[in-house]
Amino acid sequence: MSRPTARKPAPKGEYIETDSGNKVSRRSAITGTANITLGGRTVIMADVHLRGDLHPTRSVPSSSGKEVTPTSISIGRCTVVSTGSVIKPPSRISRGQVHYYPMKIGDNVFIGPNSTISAISISSHVHVGANTVIHPFAIIKENVKILPNSVVPAQMVIPSGSVVGGRPAKVIGEVGEGWGVSGGGAGGGLGVGGGGEKSWVEGGDLRELVRSIK
Amino acid sequence: MAQPFPYTYYSCDCYDSKVTSIPANRSSQQPQPDQDEDERNFDPRNPRSNFSLYPIEQLLYCEDCQQIRCPRCVSEETQNWYCPSCLFEVPSSVIKSDGHRCSRNCYNCPVCMSAMTVSSLENPAEPSPTGGPYILACPYCHWSTVETGIEFEKHTGITAQLSRVANGGKHLPTQKERERERDRRKELENRRSRDLLSGSEDSPGLNRDDDGPLTHEDLYSNLMAFYKAQLAAQSSSSMYSPHDLSFASPSSYSRLLLSYSTSSKKQKRDKPSQMREAASPLEGLVLHDPTTDTAAIDRIRREGWSSTLSPAQKLSQTNHPTIRFTDELRPMASILCTKRGKRCRSCRQYLSKPESKITSTRYKIKLLALNHIPRLSLRALSSVSTPTARPSSISSMPSSQNPEFDYNNLRPGIPTHFLLHLSNPLFDKIRVTLATPSVTPGRIQSRVTILCPQFEVGANTDVWDDALTGPGGGVSAASGGAGAGGGKYGGGASEGHQIEAGKIWDRGRNWTTVVLEVVPGFAKPLAGADKEEVGELDEDEDVLEIPIFVRLEFEADVGVEERGLGDSRGSRGGGGGAGGAGGGAGSGETREKREEAFWTVVGAGRIADV
Repeated sequence: MSRPTARKPAPKGEYIETDSGNKVSRRSAITGTANITLGGRTVIMADVHLRGDLHPTRSVPSSSGKEVTPTSISIGRCTVVSTGSVIKPPSRISRGQVHYYPMKIGDNVFIGPNSTISAISISSHVHVGANTVIHPFAIIKENVKILPNSVVPAQMVIPSGSVVGGRPAKVIGEVGEGWGVSGGGAGGGLGVGGGGEKSWVEGGDLRELVRSIK
Repeated sequence: MAQPFPYTYYSCDCYDSKVTSIPANRSSQQPQPDQDEDERNFDPRNPRSNFSLYPIEQLLYCEDCQQIRCPRCVSEETQNWYCPSCLFEVPSSVIKSDGHRCSRNCYNCPVCMSAMTVSSLENPAEPSPTGGPYILACPYCHWSTVETGIEFEKHTGITAQLSRVANGGKHLPTQKERERERDRRKELENRRSRDLLSGSEDSPGLNRDDDGPLTHEDLYSNLMAFYKAQLAAQSSSSMYSPHDLSFASPSSYSRLLLSYSTSSKKQKRDKPSQMREAASPLEGLVLHDPTTDTAAIDRIRREGWSSTLSPAQKLSQTNHPTIRFTDELRPMASILCTKRGKRCRSCRQYLSKPESKITSTRYKIKLLALNHIPRLSLRALSSVSTPTARPSSISSMPSSQNPEFDYNNLRPGIPTHFLLHLSNPLFDKIRVTLATPSVTPGRIQSRVTILCPQFEVGANTDVWDDALTGPGGGVSAASGGAGAGGGKYGGGASEGHQIEAGKIWDRGRNWTTVVLEVVPGFAKPLAGADKEEVGELDEDEDVLEIPIFVRLEFEADVGVEERGLGDSRGSRGGGGGAGGAGGGAGSGETREKREEAFWTVVGAGRIADV
């Protein structure tokens, strides 16, 4: 109580917005920022931990002879990483040494709250439900829905257009043809997504959602 | 898949329309569907409704029939097969010969069904030239082929290697070796029986001395060979080609004709000789052996239930239906997936057709119901707090300040207002009539009133049109983002959006919102009420699901979409969607009046206990 000014919330609001429209929460924990690329209009919410410090250590032979900063996490456009999630590049022990591999997350990917992601690649238009764990080196193709509370085992390949769930996650269905289609002229004041309150559709364009996050 | 509240399901009436199209010779059993049409309510709790309700994303739309098409009323055709794990396409000829499992290195764990990986067991102290023995290991449950004693020399060609090795590391005979072995045994048996006849030996069971009882695969191949031999003998005796066994073949016809002919001589000759059944293990006969049962029981007693398999694990081991114990498990080759096109079942038109390349996720044809029928969505209009028109309040976001409306806790007996939002994907203005039973079906009877059941929804236009029309109502809210939208609604409510019968709540470019008043019913009868209805509620009986009948009327251009085809077909658009009123087939300018009608079910929430 002696220094009440220090406890005031940041006057500029929750998010820092970059030139390309990325919104990064002030309360997120990002390590190794040099090794992380955000595609633009991507949201990193509070308490998200991006482990950019775990980058590939093998020296990449560069033509110019200059030291190239290795990329460890690259995230596409309009991707939302919800609160409390951890994004950690996958690692493998080879000849007694831990090697990290760069991970790639595509565009319009929604990662639900409190998830742990170690996939080597997540393609575009993927919806990851809350409390999901994706083990190292999983490959998730386009238009996939991962149900909440799933555990995707390591090195699993999820083909495009599938719905997976369970522990361990299995393909339990297919997303319909209308996956990610927001319907003719979505717009409108009220949400039209999934019949609910949302103005965005799972697996669809997340631009509206990104815009609404302040 | 359970969806979070509130949700909307659309009913496809394909079952009903099929029933009514059946000729009326059984009309005595059906309670006059035509007369009841107006009175008939859709009951979302009817067991049959389970199969007709879909989220709109799953529905397709046949433009020729002008009807919704659900997964039950489309026919699918396989375009190509691919492995879900390695994503390689498998040609259909291979499917026919090798079956529907991946023949590369894709295996699933027999315990937990997740994909297995090939790992090396190389000893770093003494590295082997090939990288050491390899195993298949499950990254999830850590089961590996070591537990069943299988190791591989190479890390590729797992299928070929696995087919050669039995559990425990023993050599598994190939088909050819099996045949040779069978011939050898037969020879042996023949000699024995000759010996038996000559009287020197007396035990026919001694031929088992070389190794243990026949495995399931051995028996199967024996039985297969025996049946093939029988069939070959049979057809050669009747002088027909041995491969021509199908009923539709010419030889079958001629056989049929011969059997009907009067000549007794031929009849006699064509009388099929009796086919006998397998008579020995070499012919595939399995005799029940009580000692295996007692051995299994002993083993369970010794090792406990943990050494046995769960039914799911047992069933997934398709080629080993007799196994019981964990040491008999084999890794399973992953089952292939398909890419499928979908056709309308009544007019055979393609409704969706994906591109045939495996890596492509695009569609050549995709006729979605989303683009043809309005989307209904519901949300609560919380009466206590300020009207929360936060379009994107994800429940997970901690930043949403307004107290979230708890859909899982609707208070019985207290009128609750919901906003029903209709957005129009069509490029024509639609007139909508909504109808709902005043009391929801089911044990908990909730009263539902749509305050404005008849209204219009504007035509869909290009999004850019709105942006250019400037600050004209909800349009700017739509494109201007949530902040603007929220502000607008916040302001709008104070301006005088009123909950009033016969008035819409709000409207925008191609959407209209009306108010729905719901009085959730009581789960338990109140004190003093009749006590007949006591008893536990079934699962999900406390979910408030509101059936809503939606009927649209609109005028569409005949020429553009239909090209003259629609008239004949549109008229048979059943389920209330009777099209084809305008009629002008040739003239492209004519506007045609069209109707569309369907049931939807809106899940509003779960009613709390008092």
